[in-house]
Amino acid sequence: MRNWLGPLAFGLILAAATAWVAIGAIPYGLMNVAMERLGQAGVNTMSYGNLANPNRQPVVRPSPDLAYSSCPYDLSVGPLAIDVTPVPGRYSSLSIFDAATDVIFVRNDVEAVGKPFRIVLAREGQAVPAGAEVVRANHDRGIALIRLLLKDPKEIGGLDAVRRQSSCATVTKLK
Amino acid sequence: MKSWHRYAITVVGGLAVGLGAAWALTGGGLTNGAIANGPWTTSLGFGTKATDPITRAMVARAGLLALPAKETVYWSAKSDAAGAKLDGNCRYRLSGKPLDARWWSVTIYDEAGYLVANPADIWSVNGANVAIDAKGEWRVAISPTRPADGAWLPGTKGQPFHLTLRMYNPGQAFRADPAKAVLPQIVKEGC
Repeated sequence: MRNWLGPLAFGLILAAATAWVAIGAIPYGLMNVAMERLGQAGVNTMSYGNLANPNRQPVVRPSPDLAYSSCPYDLSVGPLAIDVTPVPGRYSSLSIFDAATDVIFVRNDVEAVGKPFRIVLAREGQAVPAGAEVVRANHDRGIALIRLLLKDPKEIGGLDAVRRQSSCATVTKLK
Repeated sequence: MKSWHRYAITVVGGLAVGLGAAWALTGGGLTNGAIANGPWTTSLGFGTKATDPITRAMVARAGLLALPAKETVYWSAKSDAAGAKLDGNCRYRLSGKPLDARWWSVTIYDEAGYLVANPADIWSVNGANVAIDAKGEWRVAISPTRPADGAWLPGTKGQPFHLTLRMYNPGQAFRADPAKAVLPQIVKEGC
């Protein structure tokens, strides 16, 4: 039995280390899956998703009351400009999640005073256009998500054109 | 048995136990929050930088892309007012007064957190589509078959279910003490 003490102690330490590493890796892994599923239009481009239903559930616990528009981003190719056009009189928000699934920015329609706004998302040290409202990210990858609340799923027909005014794209000009 | 055999066995065992522990520790869903209010539970730490690694992984598994509490509070219920597991075979009365938030909704999911097909294509009720009665209350039936009248949230026979209550832009009074806020009642009426 004494022959097992060393291997068992090693196994326990390995188990604790494995658990710790796995717990840290879960958000990154799931964010990668979400970027894949939400980015039908590709990275650094806004995808205007259909409403959630049993056949379309790109992430767990989707809200059937929300029209989600998502921009999976990769800042390794440069900063990202996100243009948001709120819909008058109803809840909408832009939230930016990093690769660790942390929220690094949120603005809703009331905070935006109902007006269109532009956010430039950039890594520390990346050059950004003068005068831009900048959010700095600690990771290259993540998802910018626009939620638009629907009182009834049928409303999407009338609101789709407005939500498609929101967009995202890599910044190519600094002036 | 040679020494390296013993180490090989414990390496495999250690990796398996570690991965299993990680999965188990992060599997509490949104119901493992710090705040309980009747059958509803939440945490105000979702989606923030301050969240610890276990909570972050838990939220990533159960509610990826969740908003922080200032924007949205997510309550989860797995049981009714009497503490019994929510059962798709039974009829429940979900009722309450308008909530202290700019917008609210209650969505029905399966135990894994996904929407389940139903003939009515209804998965949620919200503050804009429930009728308020003379007492200032709204009422919704959760049952596998459509009630004779009133709002309906379809349950699925043979399946347990979970409810998620979303409160968008919750009021200041609510945020001051969410554990004492008046939340919807979930009362079983029969099976």
